[in-house]
Amino acid sequence: MTHRDRARGCLLGLAAGDALGAPAENLTPAEIRRRWGRLTEIERGGTDDTEYAIFAASLLARHGHALTPADVAASYRAEVIPRVAGPMKGAGFSELGTVEALRRGLEPPLTGRVHQHGWSDGLAMRAAPYGVFCPGDPAEAARLAEQDGLVSHSGEGVLGGRAVAGAVAAAMAGLPPDEVVRAALSVVPADSWTSRALVRARAAVESATNATTGPATTAGPGAATGPATTAGPGAATGPATTAAPQTGAEPGTGAVTEAGAQGDASGEAALVAALHEAVVVPHYPWTDLAPEAVALALAAYLAGGGEVEASVTFAVSLGRDADTIGAIAGAVAGAGQGESGVPARWAARIGPVAGACLPVVAGRHVLDVADELSALVQRSAQRGDPAREDPVTEPSRDRADGPPEGL
Amino acid sequence: MSGDRIQGAFVGLAVGDAAGWPAARHRAALHAPWSRRLHRELDAFAEEHRLTTLPVPFALNQPVAPLALGPSDDAEWLAWTALTIDRPRAEAFRELGGDVRARVSVATALGNLARGVEPPASGHDNPHHFDDAAAVRAVAFGALGRDPTEDAQVTNSGDGVLGAQAMARAVAEAVATGSAAAAVRAALDVLPADTAIGHNARLALDVARAAGDPFAAVPALDAALLDHVYSYAVGAAQTVPVALALTEVAGGSPAAAVPAAACLAPLADSAPALTGALTGACGGLAAIAEGWISTARTLTGCCLPRLAGQDLLTLAATFTPTFTPTFTPTLTTTSTEEPA
Repeated sequence: MTHRDRARGCLLGLAAGDALGAPAENLTPAEIRRRWGRLTEIERGGTDDTEYAIFAASLLARHGHALTPADVAASYRAEVIPRVAGPMKGAGFSELGTVEALRRGLEPPLTGRVHQHGWSDGLAMRAAPYGVFCPGDPAEAARLAEQDGLVSHSGEGVLGGRAVAGAVAAAMAGLPPDEVVRAALSVVPADSWTSRALVRARAAVESATNATTGPATTAGPGAATGPATTAGPGAATGPATTAAPQTGAEPGTGAVTEAGAQGDASGEAALVAALHEAVVVPHYPWTDLAPEAVALALAAYLAGGGEVEASVTFAVSLGRDADTIGAIAGAVAGAGQGESGVPARWAARIGPVAGACLPVVAGRHVLDVADELSALVQRSAQRGDPAREDPVTEPSRDRADGPPEGL
Repeated sequence: MSGDRIQGAFVGLAVGDAAGWPAARHRAALHAPWSRRLHRELDAFAEEHRLTTLPVPFALNQPVAPLALGPSDDAEWLAWTALTIDRPRAEAFRELGGDVRARVSVATALGNLARGVEPPASGHDNPHHFDDAAAVRAVAFGALGRDPTEDAQVTNSGDGVLGAQAMARAVAEAVATGSAAAAVRAALDVLPADTAIGHNARLALDVARAAGDPFAAVPALDAALLDHVYSYAVGAAQTVPVALALTEVAGGSPAAAVPAAACLAPLADSAPALTGALTGACGGLAAIAEGWISTARTLTGCCLPRLAGQDLLTLAATFTPTFTPTFTPTLTTTSTEEPA
């Protein structure tokens, strides 16, 4: 599979997950099941996840591997802040907090530290392009995502972005889901909320998968998902059909592929409950916590066996920050599966973005962005560019007042 | 004497706690849940009918005492800390049981402890790791000259732990010397400039000094420091710097500093309390008006029901066994004791 194919799959998967999850954001899994059963059809356009990912890609186009937090801050000042007149539509706390910090004249990393949402998933939601840009190099992808994140985030918010960039970089190299998740873990400290949440979420998926595929004698009520309270009777005892290898997928741990989902809704509900028990923060009314969203997204990706539709539909069934969880799962799965892995009916719903959240990216299409990222990567490879020099040498400040010049 | 200043810190915190408008809402927790439901419905009614006559906590068919001026959450958490200060901190929190009202950081930490996530992860894997719950508790540690870190790490990390360390250092210094300037310097010593709380502490001092007095500093602090983006205003990186700055420009006077802190409406849940603790520690009990002392000294149990009726002055006296609690202001004029 070519880099371009994976890049298109990644950003198309991101946009599709964002759009599919948008109406499910902040709903409980039970409410999502009540309204849609399984939410499989895109009902509306995407949100900030897609637009900010396009913005991140534009940073890479201009600065490449030389990207610094100062470059990112300069872009916010030139391209984002001047267009924020009155409301900053679609902005999460981290974005508006960052804008306020920049308006107060602060520079990174303080801009990401002085507001209260340093741990938001606002970097994780837009980190996929860094992985696209660094296929097979999770550490470099994570380093670049951090340059972006130091402007708007701190602590676990930066780590969430690192994890997603690392996962996408691994998936861009065609690694199977379990190795992709290991790559995500490899770029965050083991002693972190992100790592602990991801490990707990992965264990919940593995537990459900083992119970589904294991011998019937070991699968009693509650056996699948650890805490007995979260696993209803029958959670572990899926029909034998669910134990079959996934159709044509790369090796994975799929617990909720199409066949499995249809065959064992109660088992899926039990996994949803187990994942909530494992990583969701109960006493907090906002859902955009990066450690939680990244863990849920990568758990959905594992549970979907790396397939785009299975991963993304399960991701948005988790509720919480469903659009971002769907976007991350879609980006990672899409990088692994390529453009053809994204359902055609979803791809048909993805058009140029409106710029509702970031006017500067209005009119951009994720597929064009993917092609341009791919061209950058290929150009860099042809140069045999061990020093990773900036593919575009113009400093960003020189174009501070102009419109973005494409990518 | 230091014992008087310890009492000043405790009662000063309770006075500031009472002076902030959120105290009335916390104290309304003592009433039946339906009264708070009606309050929410009145809020919705006001929105629907475009009424500027805002509802306040009320006592329909209920005892009225809880809604009188008085202390609330912060005073209770300080008292609980003082009562349990010799217990291992995670154990003390586990022994709280379920019957508590607390900040997001504490509620999340209790959940973390219940699922086996131990300190410091219990305070770190926490959406409000940055809040000032530990900074409030640190007043007890500072009064005894103890390190609050182990306690703080149960519920907080980052700026939340730094806020606790800064408060403990400042209270300890104020109890020892009575100097507001020295207390603020001691706090700054533990706040790195490249953290939000360290940056904000220095910025708050700059703008407050430029304004010249606490009340004059209110608009400048709001413009320079307050987070107008996020929905919960108990961030240690805002409340602790405001308390330090107002304490310094007030010269350690609670009567000057606490009302100014209460004017920063978004921070009024805890900045007045922290300011009251610092200035109370500087001036001792004698610096606090008798009417405020008698109003703020007795807890109601609105967050920690077992503490209903607890007298903060008596409790503070146990921190200074040689000192007999009294309201005689002249006691502070013969201050010769060494710090605790």
